[in-house]
Amino acid sequence: METNFDQDVIAAIFKFVWSKKAIDREKIEDGEASKGEERAGTSKKNRPTSANPNAVRLSCELLRLFVTEAVQRAATIAEAEGGTKIEATHLERILPQLLLDF
Amino acid sequence: MDPVTTEDCFDVSDTEKEDDEEEATAHLRDRFRISTISIAESEAKRNNLEISQSVIVCISDLAFKYAEQLADDLELFAHHANRKIVNMNDVILSAHRNKHLADTLRAFSHDLKAKEPHSEKKRKKTSNKEDKGFPSVHHIDP
Repeated sequence: METNFDQDVIAAIFKFVWSKKAIDREKIEDGEASKGEERAGTSKKNRPTSANPNAVRLSCELLRLFVTEAVQRAATIAEAEGGTKIEATHLERILPQLLLDF
Repeated sequence: MDPVTTEDCFDVSDTEKEDDEEEATAHLRDRFRISTISIAESEAKRNNLEISQSVIVCISDLAFKYAEQLADDLELFAHHANRKIVNMNDVILSAHRNKHLADTLRAFSHDLKAKEPHSEKKRKKTSNKEDKGFPSVHHIDP
């Protein structure tokens, strides 16, 4: 089948972002509770978000669509200009609309 | 994995932790880039075009930023629904502005669900949702 993103990588990125935010949340809560003693309780409440495997697969597909769409649109411009190589200028042309579409 | 184990390590290593974070991000970005390169190159080949490395790197960085943003969004959506676990509907929701994209993702999610029907209960749920989702899936493709 077509190449897609590695699920492990995407899951790792999500996990990284989520655990960072969970730590931030915990910090804020610690500040409010002034040296919270019951870390066990709060950490359970602030457990980082997780994703089910299908959601990760679907996110891989979404990101793959983003990349293929970028290449495809840049390719259209490159072909219209009669080039054989996709260059940065082609990407520049399609970038604003691409970012609006995702 | 958990950087906050004791109170004093918490105080001392704030800058150190930032360095670690940067390192971890860089590592993830590299792994992400490997996948992007193969996807972008195969896509360019399909159009019988070459693609310059700088373009791929740029697209990869954009997609990585997008992935981070996506993680933020998905977390917010899940928490809004009082969940700690992100599911497929959250991902579809994140693409709701682009109708065509949302429909594509919905169709893909149906494929995923159809592939692994875990239990009777889940299958029942799936078929219900499929019934609801189908009219919009067959969106006209010009």
